[in-house]
Amino acid sequence: MKTRNALIAAAGAALSLALATAGTARNGPRFVAGLEARAAAARDQAGGQGVAIAFRDRYGWLTRHPILSGGDGLDAATRTRTAAAIATVPGIGGIRWVNDGQGGPRVLHCQDDVERILETRTIRFSEASARIDPASDRLLDEVTRSLRPCVGSIIAVTGHTDDSGDPAVNLALSQGRAEAVRWALIARGLPADGLRTAGLGSTKPIAGLDPHDPANRRIEFSVIQSAPVKPTPIDTPGAE
Amino acid sequence: MPLWLEMAVSVLLTYGIGFGIGWLLWNRKG
Repeated sequence: MKTRNALIAAAGAALSLALATAGTARNGPRFVAGLEARAAAARDQAGGQGVAIAFRDRYGWLTRHPILSGGDGLDAATRTRTAAAIATVPGIGGIRWVNDGQGGPRVLHCQDDVERILETRTIRFSEASARIDPASDRLLDEVTRSLRPCVGSIIAVTGHTDDSGDPAVNLALSQGRAEAVRWALIARGLPADGLRTAGLGSTKPIAGLDPHDPANRRIEFSVIQSAPVKPTPIDTPGAE
Repeated sequence: MPLWLEMAVSVLLTYGIGFGIGWLLWNRKG
């Protein structure tokens, strides 16, 4: 009787698998064609004409994680804007730039973008707490949007405080605030596994600034490592 | 991740969860 139940369960699983595969074979091409059209529209609207969007992975399977290539004549800001626009198309699950087989991996400029956003505005927290002030919601939306092209990289969120008060409390507070920002980014759709946090308390004040200065209370973002698509040996002549 | 694999994972996951809940309900005492 036990074997029979197990067999029924396995048959159900096999049936589900067959259903999934058949469903993808039947509807996949149409679904991806729709994504393709919307991605192309988003690209053109962002001014990224010339960027090719490939909806096939390196094994040739259809995917909803497109690989971008070309657009070499465009400046970095346009490329980033184009990538961000494509990434926000509903249904698309993250994008990557292909390493065109020459030179280093494409450098994404999310970190610069985020720094530019945070130059004039800061993420605000409630006094002595790690609760993000609701007034910073829109700012966090913008930060998320500019980090999205770097999905696949490790993004470090670091919290800092000024040196008033107990250093241990400051350390915990900066960690808590970095953690709160991380969760806010996850809530906005960034994948959790690429987001790391650290709290440095008041140990790293802004260079040239008095450690007491409240301007030292801040959240910094750094894109530590980007994970470009590894080219296959065929793409890189001379590779072993 | 190819589309078919995403689909297969999500369908199997749904099946597994449904199966698990069904199993628990079916074998509930009382």
